[in-house]
Amino acid sequence: MKALKLWTGPWLLRAAAADGLVNEEVKRTVDLSTHLAKISAEILLANQGGSPVQSFTLALEPELGPHLAYVGASVKGEEEEDESLELKETAVHGRSGTFFQVQLPSALAAGGKLRVKVETVLTHVLRPFPSHITQAERQLVVFQGNHYLYSPYPTRSQSTRVRLASKTVESYTKLGNPSKNDEVIEYGPFKDVAPFSQDTMKIHYENNAPFLTISSITRTIEVSHWGNIAVEETIDLRHTGAYLKGPFSRYDYQRQSDSGISSVKSFKTILPASAQDVYYRDEIGNISTSHLQVLEDSVEVEVRPRFPLFGGWKTHYIIGYNLPSYEYLYTLGDQYALKMRLIDHVYDDQVIDHMTVKVILPEGARNVHLDTPYVIDRSPDQLHYTYLDTFGRPVLVATKNNLVEQHIQDMVVHYTFNKILMLQEPLLVVGAFYILFFTVIIYVRLDFSITKDPAAEVRMKVASITEQVLTLVNKRLGLYRQMDEVVNRYKQSRDTGALNSGRKTLEAEHRTLTNDIAALQARLKAEGSDLAEKVGEIQKLDGQVKELVNQSCQESERLVAGKVKKETYITSEKTLAGKRQELISRIDSLLDAL
Amino acid sequence: EPISNNPQQKHSVSAQEKGLGAGGSVSGNGRPNTAAGCGGGGGGLSGGLTQPAGWQSLLSFTILFLAWLAGFSSRLFAVIRFESIIHEFDPWFNYRSTHHLSTNGFYEFLNWFDERAWYPLGRIVGGTVYPGLMVTAGLIHYLLNLLNVTVHIRDVCVFLAPIFSGLTAISTFLLTRELWNQGAGLLAACFIAIVPGYISRSVAGSFDNEGIAIFALQFTYYLWVKSVKTGSVFWTIGCCLSYFYMVSAWGGYVFIINLIPLHVFVLLLMQRYSRRLYIAYSTFYIVGLVLSMQIPFVGFQPIRTSEHMAAAGVFALLQAYAFLQYLKDRLTKQEFQTLFFLGVSLAAGVVFLTVIYLTYTGETAATMATQHHSLAQHMPSLYFSPLPLINPIKPVILNLDTERLFDPVLSAFAVYFAGVMVRLMLTLTPVVCMLSAIAFSSVFEHYLGDDMKRENPPAEDSSDEDDKRNSGNLYDKAGKVRKHVSEQDRPEEGLGPNIKSIVTMLMLMLLMMFAVHCTWVTSNAYSSPSVVLASYNHDGSRNILDDFREAYYWLRQNTDEHARVMSWWDYGYQIAGMANRTTLVDNNTWNNSHIALVGKAMSSNESAAYEIMKSLDVDYVLIIFGGVIGYSGDDINKFLWMVRIAEGEHPKDIRESDYFTPQGEFRVDKAGSPTLLNCLMYKMSYYRFGEMQLDFRTPPGFDRTRNAEIGNKDIRLKHLEEAFTSEHWLVRIYRVKKQENRQALDHKLRNVAAKQKYTSKKTAKRKRGYVKNKLVLKKGKKLNKKSV
Repeated sequence: MKALKLWTGPWLLRAAAADGLVNEEVKRTVDLSTHLAKISAEILLANQGGSPVQSFTLALEPELGPHLAYVGASVKGEEEEDESLELKETAVHGRSGTFFQVQLPSALAAGGKLRVKVETVLTHVLRPFPSHITQAERQLVVFQGNHYLYSPYPTRSQSTRVRLASKTVESYTKLGNPSKNDEVIEYGPFKDVAPFSQDTMKIHYENNAPFLTISSITRTIEVSHWGNIAVEETIDLRHTGAYLKGPFSRYDYQRQSDSGISSVKSFKTILPASAQDVYYRDEIGNISTSHLQVLEDSVEVEVRPRFPLFGGWKTHYIIGYNLPSYEYLYTLGDQYALKMRLIDHVYDDQVIDHMTVKVILPEGARNVHLDTPYVIDRSPDQLHYTYLDTFGRPVLVATKNNLVEQHIQDMVVHYTFNKILMLQEPLLVVGAFYILFFTVIIYVRLDFSITKDPAAEVRMKVASITEQVLTLVNKRLGLYRQMDEVVNRYKQSRDTGALNSGRKTLEAEHRTLTNDIAALQARLKAEGSDLAEKVGEIQKLDGQVKELVNQSCQESERLVAGKVKKETYITSEKTLAGKRQELISRIDSLLDAL
Repeated sequence: EPISNNPQQKHSVSAQEKGLGAGGSVSGNGRPNTAAGCGGGGGGLSGGLTQPAGWQSLLSFTILFLAWLAGFSSRLFAVIRFESIIHEFDPWFNYRSTHHLSTNGFYEFLNWFDERAWYPLGRIVGGTVYPGLMVTAGLIHYLLNLLNVTVHIRDVCVFLAPIFSGLTAISTFLLTRELWNQGAGLLAACFIAIVPGYISRSVAGSFDNEGIAIFALQFTYYLWVKSVKTGSVFWTIGCCLSYFYMVSAWGGYVFIINLIPLHVFVLLLMQRYSRRLYIAYSTFYIVGLVLSMQIPFVGFQPIRTSEHMAAAGVFALLQAYAFLQYLKDRLTKQEFQTLFFLGVSLAAGVVFLTVIYLTYTGETAATMATQHHSLAQHMPSLYFSPLPLINPIKPVILNLDTERLFDPVLSAFAVYFAGVMVRLMLTLTPVVCMLSAIAFSSVFEHYLGDDMKRENPPAEDSSDEDDKRNSGNLYDKAGKVRKHVSEQDRPEEGLGPNIKSIVTMLMLMLLMMFAVHCTWVTSNAYSSPSVVLASYNHDGSRNILDDFREAYYWLRQNTDEHARVMSWWDYGYQIAGMANRTTLVDNNTWNNSHIALVGKAMSSNESAAYEIMKSLDVDYVLIIFGGVIGYSGDDINKFLWMVRIAEGEHPKDIRESDYFTPQGEFRVDKAGSPTLLNCLMYKMSYYRFGEMQLDFRTPPGFDRTRNAEIGNKDIRLKHLEEAFTSEHWLVRIYRVKKQENRQALDHKLRNVAAKQKYTSKKTAKRKRGYVKNKLVLKKGKKLNKKSV
């Protein structure tokens, strides 16, 4: 079905009856099986005037006018499809009630006939009577309407069929001796009814359908260009049936199936098929009594409020989910269009008393333009600040009262957005981290103390020099070990050249290391540390070690040359090694003390 | 002479080095100052990670970060299993006040008069709370929102304690490093991050004072040790600010204000007086005192109550001691001795008084403990404490430095307090963590250090070798090459490699088991929100019993905004937080007579209770009933407490013995006492429960919690009606019926015969009056005994 357009605004009507239109045949159906009153009428319009007619007038009784949630008219075309018609609200001189001017697709020629289907949905017209019931009682409601079609035109023939929620009917008006068959009451046919005729139809019957009303809903749609649309609905729900009187007994509710029959335990909310990360919660946390079912073409949430809703009880909850933006966001260059439902399904036959829709667009969206399928009140735009925002995201706010299922239609939000702005958020993060690290670097590298502590500085300098000395001394001791190996190898290979070259490298390296240490020692002395003496001592001891190494080297040469016997060599080597060990342990102890 | 006692002494490097070599201790003066020092000193020689110091700070940073992460994530069991929700009872109040703070601003919070609590008295919240927790959470929320990070205040509250556990780990690291060495510090940080004794009060959702107070406690200790070491006013002022934060966060600040004087006192006893100590304590006492008095709830307590007198006494003692020291330089020996004698006797008196005050403090704590006994039932037993695992391996501390003395003083004190009151277990936990970390650290230093040497024999390039070793050895000092290469192994002190590896393995096993134990305890004992209950089926699937929130939310949505709800005080905070309704009593149990009145209403019969409820304007009565699902923490099980408290205030109306059977049993079945079977609590709990048959093996009205068939099945309520019962009957709410215009009589009106017209027989002559229907005494007739 195409979207119906409904325009408000002052509209002066020419005398309606002057059109010469007549309702040839009217078939009304009043569906009272839920908490809504859905009245549909098939009208065969006949133009009995002299000139073709472009439009006709729809009327609604003054008593029902404030309850009107939706009205739509369509023409039965030649094909199966219905063609919906454009409606404009209007007024009729001297008559009370709500009137709509319906534009016909083509002019109805004089004498021509046209079949028009009119659909009306009224909310809050079923009045619970009695207004307070106990848990064990069933809910009875009264409907007060009109037996006739309220119309500015005379009606030739009319029949009304009323569909009820149950067989139990307390009373109903008996105009024209209606026939009652189970849940259906049929009135009429009534012949030749004058324009604007009214005759109260009153039906008092049992209706245990869930009388749920959303007293207010705030639907927030947050669009992100990073691929996500977050939808969140904050819902105030109320049971608007007969009030619960007296106690609520959990025992009866659990043990007797017909106890609290008009109460609402749970209902189903249908979300878009691509909905993800659905949450259902309220001010004090998750509502754990719900179930989620992922179907092929939708996601069904079985919403179970924390407690069953009896007449007059209310609850409040938040339901939210994420949608991938590629399904709803269209783009062409810098032009973007968001096509989403203005309001979505909450439960079957829903009634919304007050709705607020907020669309949060990305930061930097400009030239925002909202297309709605029906009239909706725009409030001034707001700004919303969330993660990494600097100048705020534009928020469109729109409100509307009294909505029903027929209002689940798409809206389109057009805006332009410079794609460069996408870089803003990552750059912000990068910048923040850059500043952080830079500050740390500055803080660590620079000295911010306002007083100098020369002692600490000297200590630090000395410590670093000592560290270097340690490394060098250890290296030097390593050299001796290398030399030992060279000597051993020499003893086996008897290669004098290798020994000499080894000795030469040892000498050279030893000299450089010793010089280095001496330089460090001098620096220690310059700092005034008494460690310099210890280093000097190490140097002295090291000289002795060096001598010993040279001695053992010579000994080995002599052994190889055959100048000494093996036994004597071994004993002398042993004493040498002993002396060396002693010296090295002394060096070690000195090093330990450094 | 210990190094730390002579600030004037010019530190020769060798002496300092010796001190370091001896015990591996870290002396504050000689040490390059943390990371900045390392970077500054080492950076000049060669860059970054080639320096051992670089590796060490990176490792320390990584370990601390991991400890934080582990501590944070092991506290998230409840959030992952359930949701981001505030737990238990007190946190709901804290959350509610934080919410108030974040919506109405700081001054509005300080001046908040909560008319929704303690009806009709109300509660001055701003003056009766430690605001540190709320202000911290509110500040974080404010800062985040300033940066457009739109986090709900609830999430800030839920995750505050886990985040602060990381800060606690870091401050424990700092403190242990000051007291021992870096290695022990890192171990202590890891311990405190996961130790159950601390986790029990700081899981996500447990939004309670202790969550941030332990951080403040540890940080104050650290700054105190630092200020005693340096004698610098800067560190002392830092210590005072940290102490101020602690005072604003938790009543446990009394622990600090007694411990620090004790430390000073012990130091004085051990002849360790120094100018640094004088500066540190004098500054701390004065500034800390003034700062602590800024908290409205504390007010003038620091100069009035006995808990704070020890600090004042030690302050006076220290001044006297300093004065004597001053005189010592100026007087002859003879004069000084006289003066000294006087001074000592004075000091002894002060000490004596201090001890008395301390004992008195202990007494009050003990009485508090008994008062809170009904609360203690919520707490897990001592089994979960870390004590049994760690206590046997406390190291014997021999040569004590000034600051090291802090450790035994702290532990002795903490053990004493924990013994007095189980709740103060919390203050013991960090101490145990630090001590065990020191023990483990020295054990590892002993066994692992040599091990590594053996495993890595000296190679050709000795300088490279040194770097490698130092990078592996965490327990070495930063920035120094301690070990050197020598050609032969040192004597191994008679320890074979096998013993070493066995000991090391055992220690590692112990640590591993500790981690497993901690995780298990956290997951099983401390991670239930207690607002939401979960039960598991045979196939492992989970049922959530959300009855509390169901009922509270019903109250919130479907009762009048100003309705007054009567319940036992345990649920006061939750009703205020979740249902947003006025309560009569709550967990801030400041008015015993009010609680007793509620207890009396619960334990009286219905009509007597109705009178009380009328006088208190009660609209709804909320009780917890676990008989359907077998929940043991319900009101019938707590009922004797209500009776006892009511008896304490109204001994004429309520007697505990009436609620027992003649045999002295508390029974709900037919044998139970008739007083119990007809009291309001019993009636409300079991209203219509007598009809309910839970399964086929048990008779109708079988209470699963007490495993008994209830004794009074035909319960009729006259002044109350059932307003709501949650799905599993866990919460039952009754509406107090309004009085009808005129109370209907349950008996026929007496038919009084029309009064005869009475005319006075008095005449002017006979002025004497007479008594109408005067009893006529017949004299001289004996009473018939049978008629008596």
